[in-house]
Amino acid sequence: MPRRSSLPVTFVVPTLIILLILSMVPTVYAVVIALQNRELSSTAYSYVWFSNFVDLFFDRRFLNAVWVSVKWEVVTVVATMAVAIGLGVLMFEVASPRLRNIYCLLFIIPVLLPRVSAAFVWKFAYHPLYGIATYPYRLLTGGLIFDPLSKPATALFAVASVDVWQWGLFFAVIVLKLLETLPPQPIEAARLDHARRWQIHAYVTLPMLKAPLISLMFVKMIESLRSFDLIYVMTRGGPGVATETLDMYAFSQGFIESGKVSYASAMAVLMMIATVITFTMLWKRVQA
Amino acid sequence: MRLGRLIGKAVLAFAGFMAVFPLLWTALNSLKNNVDIITRVPRVVFTPTLANISYIIGRDSVMTGLYNSVIACGVAVLIGVVLGLPAAYAVARYPNRWAGDIQFFVLSLRFLPPVAVAIPLMVIWLQLGLYDTLTALIVTYSLLTISVIMWLAIPAFQAVPKEVEEAAFVDGYGAYSVFWRIALPVAARSLIGAVAFGFVLVWNEFLIALMLSSSNAKTLPIVASELSQQGMNVPWGILNASVVLLSLPPLLFLGVLSGFLNSVFRQKKT
Repeated sequence: MPRRSSLPVTFVVPTLIILLILSMVPTVYAVVIALQNRELSSTAYSYVWFSNFVDLFFDRRFLNAVWVSVKWEVVTVVATMAVAIGLGVLMFEVASPRLRNIYCLLFIIPVLLPRVSAAFVWKFAYHPLYGIATYPYRLLTGGLIFDPLSKPATALFAVASVDVWQWGLFFAVIVLKLLETLPPQPIEAARLDHARRWQIHAYVTLPMLKAPLISLMFVKMIESLRSFDLIYVMTRGGPGVATETLDMYAFSQGFIESGKVSYASAMAVLMMIATVITFTMLWKRVQA
Repeated sequence: MRLGRLIGKAVLAFAGFMAVFPLLWTALNSLKNNVDIITRVPRVVFTPTLANISYIIGRDSVMTGLYNSVIACGVAVLIGVVLGLPAAYAVARYPNRWAGDIQFFVLSLRFLPPVAVAIPLMVIWLQLGLYDTLTALIVTYSLLTISVIMWLAIPAFQAVPKEVEEAAFVDGYGAYSVFWRIALPVAARSLIGAVAFGFVLVWNEFLIALMLSSSNAKTLPIVASELSQQGMNVPWGILNASVVLLSLPPLLFLGVLSGFLNSVFRQKKT
């Protein structure tokens, strides 16, 4: 490599400046809006400083949205990792190389779908009367009706199942590829010690893959923040507020119900601070 | 042990079935008349109809949405390629003390909640008079495409054998022509995967498009979601057909993206 070249500067600097502008302008502006009392219906506004944030802490719907978001994160991340590791190990154990390739292709399909498409596909499937996913229930119970999306107890899980359908299957492919990169010797050694198959994975292969699996979980935690599309199409936050996550609530405050843009922005700013701090800390730990 | 393997194979086969069946069922429903969809017992045998699909293709709103999606995503991806690939190459090949920070900055853009970006941008575009235009959407999407393409292209450039580039320098190539004539073509396969990933990401994007468009700049996902706003009264077949139309472009990249995955992990192994 030639040491003296203008290439690094001409290639990196313009891109970084554009990225900085494109990201910093909205973030700074989000904070500014959050300190005002803008509404969609009028152009007049003034600075109210922190009163939006104070209001948020007395807003029970906001506190509910925080709780729903936390539930959503935990349910989707845990279920995705469980499905991914389970299916990944299964493919590694029982599928021939040919079959593995076929499964890998099939398992990537759901994650490629636009989330709006995935949401519709399953919204139809969960329809209590005509859905294909509720058909087995109707068949077994002789025509009883089960409507997972309109029951508060099941709605969140029904929507989360779509997220796991998309990401769990995709991550199973990655877990398989990770298992395939492992050297065969430790597995052979464990086998000679008469370890059972599940013991080999629980005590040898998965601990060896600890670092990439944690990175994978990290990616899923970030992607789980983007729950809006699924929830918007499938339940609109309902029934009641059972599936109203923070971004759904911010959207409905800002645009559907009252047009309180500043109030919505205050919520978005809190989300932003929480996620940036959490993920920066996690990322530094993953890298260390 | 035999039984265990058999159960394992059955579970896998079921998972494979679950992966594609819901989508296939949707595709099948898009070929049905309403009477064949609204049945308590799912119908597999029916007289197929192309009415839903031709209705969808004939609707102006759908065609406008398709056009908007293609232009917004296409241009944003192009900007992502033009700005992202060179930057990725420089970070990969000319590491300095900021390289780690640059990579982290690019990744951290992904932490930003979409609502937090969309609300202020909506106000900004309104003030600039660019709200509900493709320009606004393209600029906003560029943030996504540049960062994602750059993030994925860095390892792709790092995987190019250094010796190849050094040999080119010895032959008298300058830094820029090494990038053009050596690094780009050698890394092309992985780079296409990275670019395809960027495209799928913005094609599937929903929240930002929803907030930044009201009528003229609606992308296909927004149009599709609006078809169902009229409740379930809209013929289901039409909705299913629109879902199929929306899902086709990302699926075209299935081969490219799975090849990309394979190449990423092959590098790790060696």
